[in-house]
Amino acid sequence: MDGPKVQLFVTCLVDALAPEVGRATVRTLEKAGCAVDFPDAQTCCGQPAYNVGLFDDARRMAEHTLDVLDDTEGRVVVPSGSCAAMMVHHYADLFAGTGREDQAGRVAARVRELTQYLVDDLDSTVRAGCAGCTVAYHYSCHGLRELGLESQPDRLLEETPRAELADADECCGFGGLFSIEMPAVSSAILDEKLDRVEASGADTLVGGDISCLLHMEGGLRRRGSDIEVKHIAELIGDGDV
Amino acid sequence: MERDTFLSRVGRASLTSHLPDPPAVSGLPEPDEIDLLALFRSRAQAVSAVVHGPVTRHGVPRAVAAVATGHDAATFMAWDSLPAPGVASALQTAGLDRVDHVIPAEGRVDHNLTYRDLDVGITGAVAGLAESGSVVLTHGEGRPRLASLVPEVHIALLEVSNLERTLAHWARKTPTLPAETTNLVFVTGPSRTGDIEQQLNLGVHGPRHVHIVMIR
Amino acid sequence: MSEPVTFLGRAEALIGTREADAVGTGARTFLAMRDGAAEGFPMFEPLRDQARVIRLHSLRHLDRLLARFADQVEASGGQVHWAGDAEEARQIAGEILQGTGSKLVAKSKSMVSEEIEINAHLEELGLDVVETDLGEFIAQLAGDTPSHIIAPVLHMTRQDVGRLFEEKLGVAYTDDPFELNRIARIHLREVFLRADAGISGVNMAVAESGSLVLVTNEGNGRLITTAPRVHIALMGMERIVSTWEDAGVVLETLARSATGQHLSVYTSVITGPRREHDPDGPEELHVIVVDNGRSRILAGETAEILACIRCGACLNVCPVFRTVGGHAYGTVYSGPMGSIVTPGLHGMDPWWDLAHASTLCGACEEVCPVRIQIPRMLIELRRQAAAEGRLPGWLEWGMRRYARAATDPARWARSKRWAARLTAPISSQGWIRRMPGPGRGWTTSRDFPRPAKESFADWWRQRGT
Repeated sequence: MDGPKVQLFVTCLVDALAPEVGRATVRTLEKAGCAVDFPDAQTCCGQPAYNVGLFDDARRMAEHTLDVLDDTEGRVVVPSGSCAAMMVHHYADLFAGTGREDQAGRVAARVRELTQYLVDDLDSTVRAGCAGCTVAYHYSCHGLRELGLESQPDRLLEETPRAELADADECCGFGGLFSIEMPAVSSAILDEKLDRVEASGADTLVGGDISCLLHMEGGLRRRGSDIEVKHIAELIGDGDV
Repeated sequence: MERDTFLSRVGRASLTSHLPDPPAVSGLPEPDEIDLLALFRSRAQAVSAVVHGPVTRHGVPRAVAAVATGHDAATFMAWDSLPAPGVASALQTAGLDRVDHVIPAEGRVDHNLTYRDLDVGITGAVAGLAESGSVVLTHGEGRPRLASLVPEVHIALLEVSNLERTLAHWARKTPTLPAETTNLVFVTGPSRTGDIEQQLNLGVHGPRHVHIVMIR
Repeated sequence: MSEPVTFLGRAEALIGTREADAVGTGARTFLAMRDGAAEGFPMFEPLRDQARVIRLHSLRHLDRLLARFADQVEASGGQVHWAGDAEEARQIAGEILQGTGSKLVAKSKSMVSEEIEINAHLEELGLDVVETDLGEFIAQLAGDTPSHIIAPVLHMTRQDVGRLFEEKLGVAYTDDPFELNRIARIHLREVFLRADAGISGVNMAVAESGSLVLVTNEGNGRLITTAPRVHIALMGMERIVSTWEDAGVVLETLARSATGQHLSVYTSVITGPRREHDPDGPEELHVIVVDNGRSRILAGETAEILACIRCGACLNVCPVFRTVGGHAYGTVYSGPMGSIVTPGLHGMDPWWDLAHASTLCGACEEVCPVRIQIPRMLIELRRQAAAEGRLPGWLEWGMRRYARAATDPARWARSKRWAARLTAPISSQGWIRRMPGPGRGWTTSRDFPRPAKESFADWWRQRGT
C-alpha cells in the first residue's frame, strides 16, 4: 500500500453492534489506496454523555479518545457523521479554556468522516455498488448540518440506481438516548420516516451513520419489511464497482 | 417598577450575558437591475391585489370611478390630498356619497359606527415595493388610516416613479420617516387569514379588494 | 382531571390525535411556503446574516436601547410603563383601563399578553375583553389555548368552528370557511368600532424613533390601534432594534420565515398617539415594557434565545413539534424556541424536561431567520439539569458505568463480551424483540440490534497486521 496511512476510529456502535460496517470501512479505505491502522485502545468519543448533559462523563471519555488518537499520526477516519462532528466541533466546547484545549484542536483538525475523506480529501474514484438495487439514501442530521455532508454521499452513489426519498434530510427520530427517554415520540417520528422510505420504492436503505440505520432497521423489521439496510461503506467496500 | 430599577436590572444582566460574537457581514446586498413595474405588477397580483394602468394624472378619476362602480359602491372615504386631482368629485358625480373621516374627540364611538357601511376608501401612496407588491402609506392631516382599513374596497394611487425594490432598501433611503408620521403602513394585498384549516380567506377584517392605480 | 406535568406525559396523550396530526400537517405547509420564499429571494441569506448581527447588537446594548426608545415614545406623546413581572404588567394595564373608563377592550394577537395571562385579570375587573385575531377569537370562544404561535387553532376543524359559532354566537350552523369568516367579520366589526381600548403586542420596537412595528395579516391589529381612544402595547423587553433601517432588514426575514409571504398584509409602524391634525388614531398610547424573567435569561447561558423574532419556523421544521403539537410544551411558547424560553422565564421546575424533547437534529437552527444556535442551548440546559441532579437515576448510573468502561480498554473489551453473552438468549438472527429495563421503550415499536459475538476490535486483533 503506497497510499496515505489513516487511523480508523470505528465508533462504539460499530465496534459492538455492527462490526461488519467496520470491516467494510477497512476494505473501502484499502480500495481507495489507504493503509489502515486501528488504535485498539479506542472506545467511545463521549457523545452519548455530552448529549444528555453529563459533561464530566463526556470529558472523561473524550480525554481517553484524545490520548489514544494523539498518540498516532495522519487523518482519523470515522464512518459516522455524528461522532466525527463530536470531535470536530464539540470537543472544543468541552475543553475550551482547559489544559486540553490545544490537544482537542490538534486532534479535531485530523478528523474526517468517511465520505468526506473519500471525496473531499482523496477525490477517490471508488464508488458504491449494489447488484440490482435501488437505493434510498438517508442524510443523517449531524453529518448533514454540522459537517455539510450531502454532495459527498451523492458523488459516491452516482453509479447506483437511486430512489426518490421524500424529505431525505429529515430526522429519523433516534436522537441518541432520546429514543429511550421519549420512546413514544421517537417511534412516531420513525413511523413517518419509514412510511416515506417504503413509499420511495427503494429496496435498500443506505446512510452514513449506523445509529440512524439501526434505528430504522429495527423499525423496518418490526413492520415485516423486506427493505435491506446498509451503511454506505458496505456498498463501497463490498460493492461490485 | 421605576424605569431606573428596570433598566439597571437589564444592565446588570448584560454583564454576565453569554452572547455569541456576531458574524462578519458586508452591507445590504444590492439588487440586480430589473423592470420594477413588471415585478410590482406580478407580485401584487400574486397577493390578489389588482393593478391598473399606468394612466396619466388626468385619467385617474375615471379609473377610480370605474373600480368603485364596478363594486356597486354607494359610499366612499378619500384622502384630502391625492396624487391626482378630481377623484372625490368624479365619485360624487357617479352617485357615491362621501363619508367624513375626522374622528371627533367626543362622541367617538357614535362616529365610528357610521363607518359600518363604508364601501370604498381611496388613498395615495408614498412608494410601492416591487419585491412584495406592497404600497406604502403615511398618515396625517387629511390622510386617515381607516380609509385603507374599514371599507371592503381599498383603492391606492401610486406613481410609477416611486417604485422601490424592497422594504430594506427603502428603509435605508428613508431613515427618519417613522418619526415624521404617526402611522406608516405597508399594505400587501387584501386582508387575509388561514386560521381555519389553513384555508386562505380574504377580507377578514380589512378590505377584501385592493386596487392599485399606477400613475405615469 | 389534571394535566400531566411532564412533556412526555402530555406528548403521549397527544400523539396520533386528530389535533396533533392537524398541527403537524399545518406546520409542514408553513415550512414548504417558507422554503419557497427562501429559494425565490436570492438576498435572503445575506439578509439573515445582517438580521443576526442586528438582533445580537440589540441584546448587547439592551438597556441603552430601551432608554432611548422610552425617551422617544414620550417625546412623541406616548407613555411608557415598566413591568418587572407578569403581575405588575397586569396591574398596570388594569389601572390604565380603569383610569380611562374603558369597558370594552379589543385585543390583537400578542404572545406576551398570553404569557402574562392578562385576560382573566381584566375580566375580574369587570372589563369585557374580546380577542380579534380570528384564530385567537375562536380559541377564546372555545375556552382553549393556542396550539401554534402563528396559527392558534391549527388543531381545530371547520366543523369544530361551525359548531362553536352556532353555540356561542347564535348563528345558523355552517362549516364553510368563507361563511365562517364572514360571520366573524360582521361580529368583530362591532367590537372594533365600539371598543374603548385596544391591546396589541409589539413585533419590533425601534429605539431611535420610539416606534412600534406591528406585523399582521387580518387588519385587526391596525383597527384596534386606530379606532379606540386608548392603545396599550404590550412589549417583551427584548423585541427591539436600534434604527428604522435595522427594522427594515429584520422585516425582510420575518414574514418569509413564518409563512413564506414576502411581507405580511399589514406592516404597521406606529409612532406616538394621534397628533394634532391627525384625522384618526388613539388619543392615548401606552407601552408596557415587560421583563417577567427576560433579564434572568439575558444574564445567563441562553441569552441568545432573546434574539428570537417569533416567526414560528423552528416549530414548523421540528420533527418533535410536528408529532406532538404545541400543547405538549405546556405554555404559550412551544417547539424548539419554547423549550429554551419557558425554563428561562419560569425556571427549571418543572420545565427542565423540555430541553430533552429534541433529537438535536439541528433543523431549527437551519431555518431560524437570525440563525439562533438552538441545539447548543438545548445541550446547555441539559447540562444544567444534569448538574442539578434532575436526570433519572438509571440514566446517570448507566452513563457512569458506561464511562468507566469507555476509559478502560480492558473493561471495554469485557463489557462487550458480557453484553453479547447476556443478550444471546433473548435474540434471534441478531435482533432482540423485547429489551428489559429502560430499553423496554425501544422495543415496544422497534427491534433492537444485538451486540455482536465478535466485535470489530476482536476481528482486527485476530486479523493480524
